[in-house]
Formats: sequence, structure tokens, C-alpha cells
Amino acid sequence: MSGSSRAGAAPAAKREETPGGADLRAVRTGSFSSIMNTAGVYGIAILFLALGALLQATGAIGNFLSPQNLLNIVDAVALVGIVAVGMAFVTYSGNYADLSVPTTMGFTGYICIELLRYGFGVAIIGSLAVGLLIGVFNGLVVGRLKANPIIWTLAVNYVTMGVIRLVWVNKQIYPDMVGTQQHAVTLFDGIYRLRFFNLVGLPLVMLLVLVLVGQFVLTRTSFGIKLKLTGSSPRAAKLSGIAVERAIILSFVLAAFTATIAGLAVTSLSRVGAWYNGAGYDFKAVTAVVIGGMTLAGGRGTILGVLGGSLIIGILNNIMTLIGIGTFSQDMIRGAIFIIVVGTNALSLRRLGRDDA
Amino acid sequence: MDGRHQGASRQGSGAPSKESRVSESASGHALEMRHVSKRFPGTIAVDDVSFEVRAGEVHALVGENGAGKSTLMKMLAGSFDDYTGAIAIEGQVVLLHSPTLAKRHGIGMIYQELSLARPISITENLLAGRLPRRGLFLDKALARAQARELLAFVGLDLDPNLPIEDISQHEAQLVEIAKVLGNKPSILVMDEPTSALSREEVERLFAIIGDLKRRGIAIVYISHHLPEIFRIADRVTVMRDGKKIATRPVGEASREEIVQMMVGRSVREFYRRDERSIGDVRLRVRGLSRFGFFHGVDLEARRGEILGICGLSGAGRTELAKVLSGLDRADEGSIELDGEAVRGSTMADFLEQGISYLTEDRKTEGLAIRLPVDDNILSAIVDRLSRAAVFSKARGKPAVDRLIGELSIYPPDPSRTVGNLSGGNQQKVLLAKWLASEPRVLILDEPTRGVDIGAKMTIHASIEKLAREGCTVLLISSDLPELAGLCDRVMVMRKGHFIREMQYSECSEESLLLAANGDTGHGAIGVDSEGKAP
Repeated sequence: MSGSSRAGAAPAAKREETPGGADLRAVRTGSFSSIMNTAGVYGIAILFLALGALLQATGAIGNFLSPQNLLNIVDAVALVGIVAVGMAFVTYSGNYADLSVPTTMGFTGYICIELLRYGFGVAIIGSLAVGLLIGVFNGLVVGRLKANPIIWTLAVNYVTMGVIRLVWVNKQIYPDMVGTQQHAVTLFDGIYRLRFFNLVGLPLVMLLVLVLVGQFVLTRTSFGIKLKLTGSSPRAAKLSGIAVERAIILSFVLAAFTATIAGLAVTSLSRVGAWYNGAGYDFKAVTAVVIGGMTLAGGRGTILGVLGGSLIIGILNNIMTLIGIGTFSQDMIRGAIFIIVVGTNALSLRRLGRDDA
Repeated sequence: MDGRHQGASRQGSGAPSKESRVSESASGHALEMRHVSKRFPGTIAVDDVSFEVRAGEVHALVGENGAGKSTLMKMLAGSFDDYTGAIAIEGQVVLLHSPTLAKRHGIGMIYQELSLARPISITENLLAGRLPRRGLFLDKALARAQARELLAFVGLDLDPNLPIEDISQHEAQLVEIAKVLGNKPSILVMDEPTSALSREEVERLFAIIGDLKRRGIAIVYISHHLPEIFRIADRVTVMRDGKKIATRPVGEASREEIVQMMVGRSVREFYRRDERSIGDVRLRVRGLSRFGFFHGVDLEARRGEILGICGLSGAGRTELAKVLSGLDRADEGSIELDGEAVRGSTMADFLEQGISYLTEDRKTEGLAIRLPVDDNILSAIVDRLSRAAVFSKARGKPAVDRLIGELSIYPPDPSRTVGNLSGGNQQKVLLAKWLASEPRVLILDEPTRGVDIGAKMTIHASIEKLAREGCTVLLISSDLPELAGLCDRVMVMRKGHFIREMQYSECSEESLLLAANGDTGHGAIGVDSEGKAP
């Protein structure tokens, strides 16, 4: 039987080789194309660097290439990048973005400062715990109750904002106010300011570690593979015996984790607990994720690409600030870039015959 | 093997003389399709079919699943802009390249699935797009009157202000028909219109059809239920493998003859099966129920056995499969695997113990169509390929390569996106995914639906090989020749209960069809005894 049917199957396969068959439309999505995508992102980052240098050469902006400015860029990239690495997991899981990031950053900053009186370790662990709780909460509601992730996390963002304003009666708080523990305050200041070899800041080190670990988790672990399947087709993933809910919850936990780290760094930088500490990081991070080649439809992209996307955002912000473009206009330009990236992405995929993004 | 179908192979001839007759009398036909074809990548769904319907005629279209009926119907509905051949309405050649064009040319479609918007009223559904106005405003009174008139035509006495979600499924089906009739079609296409109707409503529908005939409307009637066709159709056209086999006046055709033309070959010739040794009981199900879907199901399936589950849609087959695979929970009853109760309650638990389920819904539940072939094949065994949470694709590569070869998946490239393969190859990838899980029990839900004949043969061979290797296969299928040809036994399911068990020797396409319709096998039409060697 098996012999005769094999013979029967062969002509069928041959028939499909004829022109107009599946062959012409089939598209490779192997690792090569993803490497090319990631390389392309870094190519664009280099182009932006060149643009900055050119602007400096023509005298349009001052000291773009000065060591101090380059260090500024790296520090800014570090903060956006940290948020973007976590956000990328949510996007990869097919749930677009975690918009509760800004107040997660602000809220955990408050918690950390409040807890400094019990020591630095307690403050860090306490704020991380609160951040992770927000992540679990988001993940449960989106993963289990199938809430729309955009609407839900946006709501959580505003609820958390309300909690901050309620608890701290609309006040900002300062590390010195609560501090009998001067040592803890010094350590807290160091989160942002600690520099190895007087050059490499702690946030940058944390970013690089997160990128390497994130890239490994996304591409090499069973969790990453499950998340890819979940993001590509949640129903098919579920029917493959994959714990889809758990994967989604974990992705939101990771987003909240990196948001908390970034929140602590920003709070350390400004030396103040304030509700607006994380303002704007939601959109910056989403833009970095999308520019970095991660599709909003989920299941495609890399963390290395997201790092590239963060670099582009960082360099662009820096150039815009040096030129003297106001904050609102900067937002507008970032928004326009976001639209262009998502638009061209969707268009090119549609041309390839994939209904996507 | 048996002499029953010897005459079948000669059916395809005789077409040319018919063609000339068609063009001579073109003006008398409400609808003519001349040499129409439609290709999909890798397969020709409709192959040079010519076919005509007269005004006031009910023309039945029959054929197995995948014969090309629904593609032909979609062509009339304006779903394709790339068919070849000509379609003429009242003698005029028209282009049906969009649904709007089809509607404008007076073609009305009644589908199995409802196209009604559930939250809005019957009136708004019935008159969608042509609600009467008075000045700038909606003329509510007139709209209601028009809606009532349409409802009365299909014999419904309902308040037209009710939203669709507040009326029964049967009533909604009739509202759907009223909606299509409201567009005053001159040609009406009905696809299995009785599948969701009760006995009385079927009678009512037949009365409506009689009325439409008297008004000179041409009706194309697609159905699996041969008795219906003999009752209401004037002529019947049989399709097989995308081709028209023959058109016959119903009065001159016997049921036997039509089934032969549909099947086209002896089932037992197509499935040249060899002996398998069937072992001990592997899966034992006792008193399994999921309330509202199926009740008190008892089942035993042995090692190396292919056990078919036959039934009409809505009989509870898929719901049973979803409980047996751990996707849904049973309300009562037990499932044992090799003498031990199945542990756990999730699909992952069942999968780990060796029960795999191939879904009938390939595109949304079966495959991640944006991902490459290898990711899909390995998707059910991610944990098995991981050590300490680190996944290794390399560990799965031998299995991927072997399965691509074994199922002759084309192109044989593991990095191709599944969504860009042909339907048959996608289905092979789906099967490969479950073969990779090395199941003890594999539940297959419509494993060859909508695939071309080559892919079908490959899949069948693979199922038989799996059974030979000792796996227990539960085969749920609406493809009756497939059930009759592959299965050692078939359980017939109807309205949530197993009503009959049939051995291989008793199974034929017709006996299964009768059984699925509620025939218990005692004193029915003498099909079972006819020409079958045990």
C-alpha cells in the first residue's frame, strides 16, 4: 500500500511545480531574512549618525560628535532601550504594546523612595515586586480574560496615575525627605550615576545585559518559541498544547520588569519621585520596537533589532534637541516616523501576499 | 474487488454533442455557464464545466466534497475575477467579477451560514441597503410593511422589530431566505438550504421553492441529501473532481446511477488496503457527556485500529473530539488510555500522554500560517525538544526532514511560510505536526477537507502507515468514501448519540449516508447486502 500510494503522490507534487503554482508565491522567512532586517536597522542608525555629523559639518548644530554628546545619546538610548526590550515581548506575543509603562515607571519610583528608609535592598526589591504585580495583573486580564491589551493597559495607566495622586496627594517626593538612611540615598543616586571606568553608565550595562538575555530568551528558549507561536496564531498555539495564557502573562511581567528598572533609573536621575517620570516612554519604546523590525501582528522580530530601533530613536531625539526643535514638534516627528514604518511594513507584507501588521 | 461500479468509467464521454445543443437554444436559458474553469495554486477546482438552468427549473448540483460545486457557486456569487469561460444570463454574456455585479445581474445566494447582523432588527436586515425613505427620513411604517410582506412569503409571522438574536436559528434561516428573495433575483442559488431546518420548515421551504418555480425563477440547488433532490429537482448535474460528469432529468435517473457518477470509481478500488493487525484496547470511553452536545458516549478503540466517526454536521462529532483531546471538559464520564484514566485536564496533559487532535479548522486553529513549515511541524513538541528550558531546533530537524519527505510536502523547504503553500500541502504540514508528536491516539477531524486528490492519497497512505505502526486513529469525516475505505469500524453519530456501529464489510458511501440520516440498518433500502464481499 505504502509503495503504490507514494507512486500516486509523486505526480501530484509534480503538477504543483507547473507555472503559477505555489512555488512562485512561497516566501522564505528563515533566519537569513531576519538577520538582514536587523542589519538594515543598524544601517539606518548609522545613517542617522552620519546625518548628525553632516549637520555639524555644515554648522547647523554644534557639537554632535563631541564625547559628551555621544555619551548623552548613549544614556538616553539606555533608558528607552530598557523599556523597549520588555515591551518587545508584549508586541511579540501579539498584544501590541503595554501602555501602562509610564505610570509603572513613576509609581515604582515613588515606592522605591518611600522604602529607602528601610534600606536600599528593601527599596529595590519592594519596587520590583510592585512593578511585577502590575505586570501579572495586566497579563492575567489580557491573557485570561482576553481584554483588548491597548485599552486595558491604557486604563491601568490612568488608574495607577490616580493611585499615585491619591496616596501622595499630588506631591512629588525627594529621597532626602525620607532619608535617615543617607547610605541608601547615596546608593539610590548611583543607579543612574554609577559609571564604570568613568565612562560606561550602569543603565547602559543593564541595557546590554537585558538585550543579550532577551535575545537568548526570545530565540532559544522554549518560552520564546511558545511566544512566537502564540503571537503568530493564538488559536493554533492553544491547540498545540501550549499554555498561551502563561506565555502572555510572562510577556507582560517582562514588560513591567524592564519598565520598573527604567523607572528606578529615571527617578535616580531626577532625584525625585514624580508621576510624570515615565511620561513619553510608552510611545518612544513602541516606536523603537516597531522601527526595530518587530511587526505589530506578533511573532516576528528580534531583540537585537529592538536595540537598533532604540539607537535610532535616541540619535534622532538628540539631533532634534540640538537643532532646537521643541518637545511637541519632536513628538509629531516621532509620530510621523511611526506611521511611516508601520505603513510601509504593512504595505510590503500585503504586496508579498500576506495579510499582516 | 466488486462489480458494482464497472460502468462508471465511461460516464465522462458524450459531452460534445450536448454543447452544440446548448448554444442552439441559448435564448431559452435563464443561466448558462459555458466551459468555465477556475484554478487555484496547485489544483484546478472547476475544469471546463458547461451547465445551464432554465427559467422555472430547479437544477440540482451534486458531488462529493471537493467536487467543485462550491467553487462553481462562488463563481456565480462574484467571488472570483479570474475564472475562464463565459457565463450568460438570459442569453447575454455577463462578467461576474464582484458580488455587486452578481447581485445586479439578478443572482441571489442562500448559504448555509447566515449573513444576518445579529443585534439589529429583522426589518433592517431584510431591507439592508434599500430601506424606504420619505424625504430625508426613514419611512418606518413602510419598511415594516415591506418586511412583513417578505416574512409572510416565507411563512413567518414575526414582529419585524425583533433583533435577529431574539429569534430561533430556524427562523433566522428563513429570514435569510426572505432577505435574498427581497432582492427579486431571477436566479437563485441555494447551498444546502435544509441543513439547519426542522422537518416542517423543510416542507415550508419546498413550498416556497414551488412558488418560486411558478414565478419563473431559475434555481440551482446544491445538496447532499439525495431524497430531497428526487423530490424537488427537475434535472440533476453530477460533478466529480472539478469536472461535470453528466446532466440528467431527475425522472430518468436512479439514485444508484447518481451515486455511481458521484463516486466515479469503486470505493474499494481506490482504497486498496492491506491487512493490519489490531491489538488490545487502547482508548476506552465510558458514559462521556458534554451537555447540549453529546450524551453517554461509549467507545473502545484498539491499537492499530482506524475507527471512523460518521455523522451529519451538528451531530456532535467535533465536540466529542475536543473533549477526547482535552481541549474541552466533559460533564460526566471517563476516558482511559491503555487501562489507566487520563490524567490532568488541559490539552497539554492529554498531549503528553499521547492523545493528539488534528483540528478541522486548518487556517485558524491548526497552523500558524505566517510561520515557516518547520516551526509549524515542531509546534506541538516544543517542550520535548527543550532541555532545561532551552529549545533546540536542530534536535527536531531530522523529524522535520523525514516528515517533509514522507508526506511529499512541496516545496520540500522547511523555511517556507506555510500560508504560501497550496491547501493540500498546508494540510500535509498540519498532519506532519501531529505525526511529529508520536501519538498513541490520533484524532483526525476532517483530515482531507478541501485538498486535491494527490494530497488526499498521500494523507490516506500516511494514516494507514500510522495505524500499521500501532497507533489508534479516530477518523472523523464527512467524506463518506474515505470512511468506508479506510476504517476498520465506523461509529455513526446522530444528535449527540452513537446510534450504530458498522464493520468494514457493512460500510459503503450509501449505507453510511443512510445511517447518518438515522437509518438503523434493519429493513432499509437494500444497499448493505448488495455486491459486498465481506
